[in-house]
Amino acid sequence: MITGVKITILIAVVTSVLSLLFGTVIAVMRNSRIKPLRFIGKLYVEIFRNIPGLFWLLFFYFVFPEILPFDLGKKLNAYPYYPIVASIIGLTLDNTSYVSDILRSGLLAVPKGQREAAISTGLSRVQQYQYVMLPQTFRKILPPLGTRMIHNFKNTSLCMAITTPELMWATQQIESITFRGLEATTIATLFYILISLSLGAIIILLEKYYKIDIASITKMEA
Amino acid sequence: MEFLLEQLANFKFYLIGAYPRGAAGGLFLNISIAVLCLTISFFIGAIFGFGRLSCRKFVSYPCIIYIETIRATPALLLVFWFFFFIPSVLGKNVSLFWSAVIALSIYSTAYQAEIVRAGILAIPKGQMEAALSSGMSRFQALTLVIIPQAFRIMIPSFVSFFISLFKETSVTYVIGIVELLQIGIIVTQRQPNRMFAAYICMAIGFFVVCYSMSHLARVLEKRLGIHDLSSYRPTVCRADLLLKPCEAKNLPTQNPT
Repeated sequence: MITGVKITILIAVVTSVLSLLFGTVIAVMRNSRIKPLRFIGKLYVEIFRNIPGLFWLLFFYFVFPEILPFDLGKKLNAYPYYPIVASIIGLTLDNTSYVSDILRSGLLAVPKGQREAAISTGLSRVQQYQYVMLPQTFRKILPPLGTRMIHNFKNTSLCMAITTPELMWATQQIESITFRGLEATTIATLFYILISLSLGAIIILLEKYYKIDIASITKMEA
Repeated sequence: MEFLLEQLANFKFYLIGAYPRGAAGGLFLNISIAVLCLTISFFIGAIFGFGRLSCRKFVSYPCIIYIETIRATPALLLVFWFFFFIPSVLGKNVSLFWSAVIALSIYSTAYQAEIVRAGILAIPKGQMEAALSSGMSRFQALTLVIIPQAFRIMIPSFVSFFISLFKETSVTYVIGIVELLQIGIIVTQRQPNRMFAAYICMAIGFFVVCYSMSHLARVLEKRLGIHDLSSYRPTVCRADLLLKPCEAKNLPTQNPT
């Protein structure tokens, strides 16, 4: 069960980091001036938001190796860690759409003057995002982003369906060996509650750390 | 392409399962579980939402504990837990459908309670104070003034919660309910060479329902046109008219000069 917890945390951390990266890319794409880029971003978000994560996990585990050309699919199926890889891909794609939506709303909430100021100081488009827009956005969206990350952690339990050896799968193994389903599931529940509540506490601390003290800034200006 | 058309011609199986000859299933089961859970948990969730807002600690603390605990557990785990828990307590088996409905209702109750709480907190305090000062009792003020306004604010979030609940119903396939995901798996087991087409059909089923619901949420949000309630802010003159009477001690004094 402890190895299960380790793999659960591993999947949660990797998917969170990857989906944050991809989510940023897609949010910037949806905000760009070029129409095809915007369209691709919107299509991606709509498709992945409207179909459950469990479907994507099953899709990447069962179907993806089948539709690959040549013998790649067979090699993938023979690879012993493929369930973990498939669950990381599936959960990342699912989570990316939500993260990019949150980020996009954050980008829209940054006041226009900030961007105009960045342009007028001669920053290039990449620099605008890197130094002006994104830091402000991340401060603003920290609470919903944190909720999403906890949700993502909870979603790792779905990986059980594709035989990834994580916490829920370990629980099922114990149940099938000892027939003590209720006890095993209760302990797993305690693990999940413990980890999500501590994640929530970490996010609250982060929020306090990164909060801009608006009152002090206005005092300085005065 | 032919595979896909063949599977699409089989749409009845995806929609209602083997219904006339056997138990109902497929997308119909997904929707019915989601709707049942939404209606059950709406009423219980409203109680917990009001309970969390209560200023009496013996009411609010159990509600907070319940909401936070359920929000910290995955839906899959709750479905499993009730699958094992109900037979061991009642001593007899409940049908899979009802075990899933109970588990998901408990899961969604916590979220509904949060929606109700957020809706009520969005109503400015002045509304409650005005109702109380025009001579209503606290219960009257809540049912006649606060709830009708809060409900308007809550409707779009209820619709978007319905979408996520609908997606959560797909996890019930792990305890053997024949819903859309299970139907797709059955098809792929019968005809392994039609795997891709079957998965596409499942995706279409989920996408159509969720997309139309999210469109509905957007339309509702526009049509309901949430008012800017925060613009009106009267000053408090009497402490006993506050939304939470127990906060009266912390009130600043009226005339510091």
